[in-house]
Amino acid sequence: MKDLAVRLAALDPDAGAALRVIAYFDRLTEARAGLQTIVRGAAVLAGCPARLADDERRVQVRVQPDGAATPAGPPDPAWMSAPAGGATLWLERAGPPGPVEAMVLERASAAARAVLERTRGHAPHPDPASVELVLDRDAPEPLRLQAAERLGFHTTDSVRAVALEGGAVRLIHGAAEPPSGRAGIGPAGPIGELPASLDAARTALRFTAAGTDQDPGPRVVHADDLGGLALLAAAVDAGAGPVPDERALDLAAATAGWMLTTLEAVAEAASLRAAATALRVHHSTLQDRLAHIRPVLGWDVRDPAGRLRLQVALALRRLRLSRS
Amino acid sequence: MTSVLPESTRPVGPPPPFDAELAAALVVIGEQMPSSLTAEMIQPMREGSLLADLSDDDLARGGAFTVARRMVPGPAGDPDVELLILTPAGAATPLPAIYHTHGGGMIVGNNRTGVEVLQDWAAEVPSVIVSVEYRLAPEHPHPAPVEDCYAGLVWTAANAAELGIDPGRIVIAGASAGGGLAAGVALIARDRGGPALLGQMLLCPMIDDRNDTPSAVQMAGLGVWDRTANNTGWTALLGAECGGPGVSPYAAPARETDLSNLPPAFVDVGSAETFRDEDVAYASGIWRSGGQAELHVWPGGFHGFDMMVPQAAVSQDARAARIRWLTRLMGM
Repeated sequence: MKDLAVRLAALDPDAGAALRVIAYFDRLTEARAGLQTIVRGAAVLAGCPARLADDERRVQVRVQPDGAATPAGPPDPAWMSAPAGGATLWLERAGPPGPVEAMVLERASAAARAVLERTRGHAPHPDPASVELVLDRDAPEPLRLQAAERLGFHTTDSVRAVALEGGAVRLIHGAAEPPSGRAGIGPAGPIGELPASLDAARTALRFTAAGTDQDPGPRVVHADDLGGLALLAAAVDAGAGPVPDERALDLAAATAGWMLTTLEAVAEAASLRAAATALRVHHSTLQDRLAHIRPVLGWDVRDPAGRLRLQVALALRRLRLSRS
Repeated sequence: MTSVLPESTRPVGPPPPFDAELAAALVVIGEQMPSSLTAEMIQPMREGSLLADLSDDDLARGGAFTVARRMVPGPAGDPDVELLILTPAGAATPLPAIYHTHGGGMIVGNNRTGVEVLQDWAAEVPSVIVSVEYRLAPEHPHPAPVEDCYAGLVWTAANAAELGIDPGRIVIAGASAGGGLAAGVALIARDRGGPALLGQMLLCPMIDDRNDTPSAVQMAGLGVWDRTANNTGWTALLGAECGGPGVSPYAAPARETDLSNLPPAFVDVGSAETFRDEDVAYASGIWRSGGQAELHVWPGGFHGFDMMVPQAAVSQDARAARIRWLTRLMGM
């Protein structure tokens, strides 16, 4: 039975059509389909050419509603579009989008963004020797710039180093989103500064956590956000501590399964109410826990000084756990 | 030690996954097209809008084709059959011909069904398209459908000059049930010394009424035209004989044990469809008999994927492969 041609483009602009658009792109995302497939889906479902452009990554995809890929001229500002991370997705049709078009734009751009985020981490081509050369302080500058070119960077690009678990290193454009997974992100800057960016990224990685109940905390830390905390890493490595507050944390952790996640939430959240929301517990439950914590820990984490003390203790604990 | 289990009792694994892009489209198609069809669904399907007919205007494609119909003699003692004849406008004759046996599970469709795919071929490889209107099961069980198709071919070959056709370059083509009919007509033409075919184009052909291959078992309830639907089609064509020992190879070409002296075959099928294993076996049988066949198994393809989701990457590849084969075959 191959004769029951169904034209996806013939979808009626009703609620059912919107649901089918959602299901279509959900399937593509689940199957980790590529950009070409996603843009083709947008073109077919909308019934007009669709395109995706990411100038920074030099990605340019244009597909006609019959599925054929064709070269793209400059986009018309009147076309309907949606941002997709650093990229833009267009339907080549002027005017405000109707319901189906709006749904296609929303879902296709989200799917494209997921692909770009996934692939950016290893973009353009991981070439370990070139990465090593770029990061080698002792290598002559021209050689390092050539290596950066091989990795897809212009000499004038702003680039940052990303330190991953297990010692892996990625280089990404300054504005690009970091690769998924546990990562320390170095500051963006000229290619010549990448060795320093990597040092900072490695320090930032030590402030990351697994993001589990046993090891709660952020999976991604930007060196730019650490401020003076970065100095703690050098202090720990130089043999400082452990300070009594770290032991108090370990003791407290042994008293209740919720202890570390609760302390982490209190340290990170803007308010106790926000901490309760993040923990998905009632506000009064959090108050009960805090009452329990105070004698175990030996100080009150609710006042500003106590909160700073908690943040430093948590940071020291992470640094010691990640000490190389 | 190698396995001593016969093929039919070896365990069958889970269904192969659908291609991601096809799976996404199947979400849409599935709502309109159940995997399993049963006998009581035949009549609603014939009346349903899914089989929207192409109009003569559609067929003419803005003047690219002239559209004609001819009533020609059917099998001896049976009614005439109608041939739909599409001739590329302005092409120098004689042209090759593509003789088309339409799909539809033996139970639905007409000689316009699926003909737009052939028109796409003819746009690349200029050819006259002749599409036969055969009687449908269950009202007209075997051998009515395949004999109608054969009668139309005989007339076409005998009247090639009038139609602007080079009688040495007639290719028979069909998809699904139409692929089974094309294979059956090729067997009849060989056995009766009928018209010489340049090639047979068997697109996901329906050729085995036994309906018990690993792919038929694996794909039950999934995709398009599953084992239940297939049983509905074969039972309509063969009645109580279906699956039994006496079924003619002209009805179910997978039953033919001698596949020698057939025209070169093009066989394609999806990896995720009922017909995968019978179609692969048919191509293998042709090779074993010393013949020529080109076989494509498209990964993650469900039945008719290229027609229902023509824009998908795998569909584009499948369609391109057919045109390349035709171009080579026609010597163009």
